[in-house]
Amino acid sequence: MLPEWIELGRGLCYGGAGLAFGLAGAGSAWGISIAVHQCAGVLREKPELFGRMLVMIALPGTQGFYGFIAAILIMTQTGLIGGSAIKITLGTGLAMFFVGLGCGIAQLVSAIKQGEASAAGISLIARRPEAAGRAILFPAFVETYAVVGLLATVLFIIFLTQPLALKFLGQ
Amino acid sequence: MIPRIKNISKWGFVSGRISVLEAGFMTKDFLFNMLNMEKIDDVIALLQDTFLRDYISPGAVWLGEDFGAIFDRCFYDMAVSLKGDCPSTLPVDIFLLQGDYLNLKTALTGKKTFLFPSGIFSYEMLSSIADGDYGDLPLPFKESPEWTGTDIFNIMPGDLDIMLDGSYLRHLLLLSRQTESEMIRRYIRNRVHSYLVIILWRALNQGISLKRYQQYLPPVGDFTPLIDELAGISNLENWRGIIGGEMGEIFFECCAYEEKAHIAIFDTRVMNYLLRIVHDGAYQTAGPERVFAFLLGLYVEMQNLKLVVTGRLNRIDPGFLKERLRDCYV
Repeated sequence: MLPEWIELGRGLCYGGAGLAFGLAGAGSAWGISIAVHQCAGVLREKPELFGRMLVMIALPGTQGFYGFIAAILIMTQTGLIGGSAIKITLGTGLAMFFVGLGCGIAQLVSAIKQGEASAAGISLIARRPEAAGRAILFPAFVETYAVVGLLATVLFIIFLTQPLALKFLGQ
Repeated sequence: MIPRIKNISKWGFVSGRISVLEAGFMTKDFLFNMLNMEKIDDVIALLQDTFLRDYISPGAVWLGEDFGAIFDRCFYDMAVSLKGDCPSTLPVDIFLLQGDYLNLKTALTGKKTFLFPSGIFSYEMLSSIADGDYGDLPLPFKESPEWTGTDIFNIMPGDLDIMLDGSYLRHLLLLSRQTESEMIRRYIRNRVHSYLVIILWRALNQGISLKRYQQYLPPVGDFTPLIDELAGISNLENWRGIIGGEMGEIFFECCAYEEKAHIAIFDTRVMNYLLRIVHDGAYQTAGPERVFAFLLGLYVEMQNLKLVVTGRLNRIDPGFLKERLRDCYV
């Protein structure tokens, strides 16, 4: 394996980490913005609902953290942060890149959709404040798939950096 | 691209406000309850549970203030308040347009005291028209073939009213071409259609020659031939086939009622039909349709409350008033 191929593989890993965090962070910002617009309108008429609205606004923010966890894990497992650096082949790099990209897309879409589900829930709370408990459930269902996306990402990163996988991918 | 609710961020704020305000809508049972009350003071006390709570002080002595004006003020204040929060003012302008044209009518008589809030026509423009600067008249008004561009005083007041009606309808159709919402376009088309029928029907009942309407009302888009056709037939029974569509069906149903009540019942049924058209907008999370549906719901609620309160004040039979109540938003 030529050193430049190893460097390219490592670069792709960090690219994947960047995408995981970047897309997830953007999605969270977007989702929160959707929920906040709706919430601000509700609070203009009923400021006393702020407490019940807070959770609904915060929910789409979790994807940003999931993306951050995925990015950190890629960097630690490949040796950029702490531990010993492992030899990254082009195959491993490409796999990591797409794992990061997949994670980023899952978090981006789920954050936006969760923002929309939160906005709908906020409308429900505005009309019937006593339904706040049920309204939180709707965006929580969207959260399930963000968590599944993170779990899949964590498992992929761990498996891809195991000696057997590194060997299989061309070390 | 990621599929998402269109315009949710832009319309989110105003839709959030509407989510809270919607909780204030009354059910038909509430209105029936008002109708069954013996004392008018009890009816007025119940208004504290409606959008009118900020306009009527609890326990205040009833001095015979014009309730109709209070209901109108409540509706227009809400529309203007929502307009400020809308990314596009079009859904609100459709409702403010009627007041705009009443203001324009005032301006054309040379007066500058405008009763309705400014929607599309600014007070400056209306004042300038009142001063005789007819260059500022809205384009739909100038489209009338009877408008010569010179002196408005050459037109008889009754004919001027018909020209203003025609201009109002053309303006509504103009607004419908500017919106992307299929629901709003459908509403406007049916509104214009029903409005034309009511104008001509009322004129026929009052014995006014429909030839004047043929002369001063057009053009009204695709509905121009309808004016000529209806004006050519003085027998109402033959109108159904010419009116056509849903309006024709509603017209036919109304003909079964007592003759004097025809137009009022037609108006009520048409409003119920229009409310059904826009009701899907109420289920949107955010968007122009949401604002539009809310305003139509509020308009209908104010009409219903006006009917109940003024009807009870004038000791009209509750059974008769019940028949005239329009469907509620909730």
